[in-house]
Amino acid sequence: MIDTEVLGQFAPEILLLAGTLLLFVLDRAGALRRELFGAVALAAILGAGAIVLADLGVGFLAPLRGIGAAVVDQPVGASALYGFSSLGLLFQGIFLLAAFLVALAAVSRPSDEPGAAVFYGLLLLATLGMMLVAVAADLIFLLLALEITAIASYLLVASPRRDPRALEAAMKFYIIGALSAALSFFGASLLYGAYGTTSLRVVGHSLPAGAYGDLAIAGFGFLLAGLAFEVTLVPFHMWAVDVYDGAPTEVSAFLAGGTKKAGFFALFLVFVGPLLLVLAPGTGPAGTFRGSLDLTVALLAVATMTVGNVLALFQSEMKRLLAYSSISQAGYMLLGVAVATAPALAGATFQIFAHVLLKAGAFLVVAAAAGLGVGPLVSDWKGFGIRRPALGVAFGLFLLGLAGIPLTVGFFSKFVLFSAVVEARGWFVWLAVAGVLNSALSVFYYGRILRTMYMETPPAGSGGAGVGARSSLAWDGLGYGRAAAIGIAAVLVVALGIDPGPLLTAFQSAATHFLTFGA
Amino acid sequence: MVGWSVLFPYAYLVPLLMVGSFVVVGLGGTRLRRFAGGGWIAVAAAGASMVLGVLLGVAEMLDPTYTDTHVVWLSLPATGTGTFPNGFELVMGTLVDPLSGLMLLVVTIVGFLVLVYSLGYMAHEKGLPRYFAELSLFLAAMNGLVLADNLFEFFVFWELVGVCSYFLIGFFYEKPSAASAAKEAFLVTRVGDVMFLLGVFLYFYVYATSGPAGGWAAHGFLFVQGSSPFLAGVMGGSTPLLTVAGLMILGGAAGKSAQFPLHVWLPDAMEGPTTVSALIHAATMVAAGVYLLAVTSLFLGFTATDDLAIVAIGGFTTFFAATMALVQPDIKRVIAYSTISQLGYMVLAVGAGFAMVGMYHLFTHAFFKALLFLAAGAVIHAVGTQDLFKMGGLRRTMRITSGVFLVGALSLSGIFPFAGFWSKDDVLSSLFGELGSHPLYWPFYLLALATVFLTGYYIFRVWFLTFSGENPRDRSLPAAHEAPGVMLVPMIVLAIFATVGGLFPFVPAFAHLLPGAGIPPSYTATDLALSALSVGLAAGGILTAWAFWGNGRVFELPAGSAAQPVRRLLLKRYYFKAGYDALGLTGVYTFARLCDFVDRYIIDGVVHGLERSFGGLSERGRRIQSGVVLDYASYVVAGVVVLLLFLLVVGPYLVATWGS
Repeated sequence: MIDTEVLGQFAPEILLLAGTLLLFVLDRAGALRRELFGAVALAAILGAGAIVLADLGVGFLAPLRGIGAAVVDQPVGASALYGFSSLGLLFQGIFLLAAFLVALAAVSRPSDEPGAAVFYGLLLLATLGMMLVAVAADLIFLLLALEITAIASYLLVASPRRDPRALEAAMKFYIIGALSAALSFFGASLLYGAYGTTSLRVVGHSLPAGAYGDLAIAGFGFLLAGLAFEVTLVPFHMWAVDVYDGAPTEVSAFLAGGTKKAGFFALFLVFVGPLLLVLAPGTGPAGTFRGSLDLTVALLAVATMTVGNVLALFQSEMKRLLAYSSISQAGYMLLGVAVATAPALAGATFQIFAHVLLKAGAFLVVAAAAGLGVGPLVSDWKGFGIRRPALGVAFGLFLLGLAGIPLTVGFFSKFVLFSAVVEARGWFVWLAVAGVLNSALSVFYYGRILRTMYMETPPAGSGGAGVGARSSLAWDGLGYGRAAAIGIAAVLVVALGIDPGPLLTAFQSAATHFLTFGA
Repeated sequence: MVGWSVLFPYAYLVPLLMVGSFVVVGLGGTRLRRFAGGGWIAVAAAGASMVLGVLLGVAEMLDPTYTDTHVVWLSLPATGTGTFPNGFELVMGTLVDPLSGLMLLVVTIVGFLVLVYSLGYMAHEKGLPRYFAELSLFLAAMNGLVLADNLFEFFVFWELVGVCSYFLIGFFYEKPSAASAAKEAFLVTRVGDVMFLLGVFLYFYVYATSGPAGGWAAHGFLFVQGSSPFLAGVMGGSTPLLTVAGLMILGGAAGKSAQFPLHVWLPDAMEGPTTVSALIHAATMVAAGVYLLAVTSLFLGFTATDDLAIVAIGGFTTFFAATMALVQPDIKRVIAYSTISQLGYMVLAVGAGFAMVGMYHLFTHAFFKALLFLAAGAVIHAVGTQDLFKMGGLRRTMRITSGVFLVGALSLSGIFPFAGFWSKDDVLSSLFGELGSHPLYWPFYLLALATVFLTGYYIFRVWFLTFSGENPRDRSLPAAHEAPGVMLVPMIVLAIFATVGGLFPFVPAFAHLLPGAGIPPSYTATDLALSALSVGLAAGGILTAWAFWGNGRVFELPAGSAAQPVRRLLLKRYYFKAGYDALGLTGVYTFARLCDFVDRYIIDGVVHGLERSFGGLSERGRRIQSGVVLDYASYVVAGVVVLLLFLLVVGPYLVATWGS
């Protein structure tokens, strides 16, 4: 007996799954064009996105509202596997945005490259896993959803099957990923051992009463370590640099812009949602756990942003530099978990959203530049901004956004996040100070790229095929998919940098609901 | 009459049309050679925005209402705690009210006329697209400033007109003097701008933390009719903080309106094209300071101390600038000092509590001063020099120009019944009425009165030196010719305004634009006596000028005269510029040396140190990042151990020690 109501609630996920299956079927049908696969994937993503946005109450999509999650932000029962929160739906939107940008840009990969259908299929599968993370209400459900994403991502990294660098990266990713998954599941089993349940809500509410308090705390510790891998926290970050570097650049964009964000939502679910509600800071075992958790996460955050930034400072390869920058950004986002107030959560969500646009956009520009013959080193970008003005401006925008310069979305996200951290008072203020200092530090290496792009001329005669040969405003040689993806990201970066109002309001109300969701 | 007010929500089109012109001319100007480098496009856009602006002004006359149209740009909801307990909003929008209606009339009409005049005046210059694009941007920014409905938006446009002014003063950027004048203007007004911004922050602080329920800042700093009771009633009328905020606003206004001691940039700004001087540095932008004071006095209110400071600055500047105008040999600089002096009158009136009287003088001044500049421009265009002592006798060849200049000069001097008479007289009589309210108003009233005499003298000195006599004193000057029609028509239109503009407020509908005491002036016996006195003073000044300079006479001060040091002092502009330069040179140079030292030994030291240590770290980091998966796995395991230690041992210990 199929429950149609449940099916309806999962309409976006079902669309993605159908898209995946259709892609695999089409792939068997013979030599089809890359564009067709891309179109199928984009259609599935856009359809899912429309339903999610309708659920979030976007006006013009109102006719679709009957299809998706009908009940949002209602407390879930003790045995529920999933539940819909508006913050989760917003995250689903963020995941779909990342998948959309990457799918669009990947249309412009060389048309003779094999495996397009597999690439798109895996992309949809990974997105499906992330979508499920966003509605999880149960530890096992959550970890399995993460695994769907992880396995699809390993394969995505390995999708250029003849590239040894990609294969090596995939292998590292897989081994460390498997280790971390084991840590997470071990943590979950400890929690189950302590409380006899895997419901996030019940676990959260029980803690740390009972005889098994320390066991439960250890369980949370292992879970934190496993999720720290997902979101590249120091010292669980090392895979990220090799993987972002070795993977096809579109995949790096997806990993940095997409899958990592699913890990953040998992952190929110486990460590912010129902858990912290009952863990008001204070005395007693609950207060002590809250205090040491805050401290630990804060330490992780500061270590992550600082290590990421410092290592990015002297990085000479563009993709590795972006990977380190991505690690440092994870440190900022983690402030939302450390502070765990509604404004901080909204700020972290905003920062996550901004980072999707900025980092995915930046990686896509790097992919486009590689397609134009620009080498992997930062110094290969000399004069890029002059030779390719449109791409240069877009890349500049993304970098300025990452640095948090006003009139880009990155400024507002950092502003909202840091001011929420300051507002939380106490020693949290020092976290904001660390964040601001780190932002200042990061301006150095973003600025260095800008200087290389605009103020340095390439050595005579060495101008690469792409950088040196053409001087044109047009997007020629870029492919319309990449051009459109980069263009959309750049326009959003500026538009939301000028008017973040509606988005900010949505994040704030969703964060407020999220904190009372599991009560 | 139905339907005038339907226009109000479309007020944003006035600046937007000029933005369009800026974009088209700026991007495509070089391809628009047939349209005078885009000049015709700018003129067309300015014409359209003038039509709309005048319609809006007329609509305000018929139906003087406050219509605010805005979009919320950024909004933080009220949470009751944190940085913004009442919430916080930034809005962008337009406010059409009597005051902005009046300013729209001035800015769009003068802007349009100056652009038309430019078609002739600038015809032989290079870089026309740049000129017309920048002028379009200026008009867009100026109209935006006039229509701004809140203090933040006002500041944004305020900065934008400043930037345009910088570009246009430096239009002839190959000339070192023009480039340095542009920089000077930018830097000096920047001092004022910083004060303005501080003032905004102070008002923000006061209103956001202890304003009326909801907080004024929470509603985007809107200029709401009758919001000044906020200050009087809720804020207890006067606090030191509000006094300082008002003084900061005054500082901003002094920078833009070239009031003492930030007046030095305006005479040097005459390095720009004369059209720019007429539009920006006489009629519109420099008046923005007065407009700011008027808006602030209406919507926020000043404290009594602020009012005295404003009267003092205005009253002193008006006299101080007029004295420097007495001896200048450069035709444009005389008019520039005159502008500073007249702006002083406006500031004076605002300080005395009659913002609308100040606006009245702003209105008439815009026309007669633009006229004087354009007429001077026609002379410069004809003879190719700005040196008064080389000119002479131009009355014969430039009949119309000499006529309109005469109209402007009479209006500036305040001779009945020209426009300047009515408004200047109103300024003086309004201050006279307030003399009882503060004993320190007296000296500034006397200075303002004395300035009337000086004004008549210096402007007619210019007229006699330029137009009277038989021939130019410098025979090598090219034979003068009357200006072309495209320049003459704007001057004639302005001359008409300069003649009858002062009478407008006597039309009841127009008086709606200047709602307030003293508009239109009521002439009691005392007022009539004062008017007679001031016309007498002006006439005395004119006669003195005639005695010294009439009929081609050139008055030479005897070398041994006791007045020589005074003349030198005035020519040297009271050594203000030299003083600022010296201050800048020694001060800035020392500061620069200090910075260099800090940079070289401290910052570089730290940076290099950091670089070395981070480089080492980075190197070590890279070595950790070995690429070997087993290493990574061992770091993961180490990480788990550290996490568990923290959660189970260190964290609880620390919480127990510090409390949470």
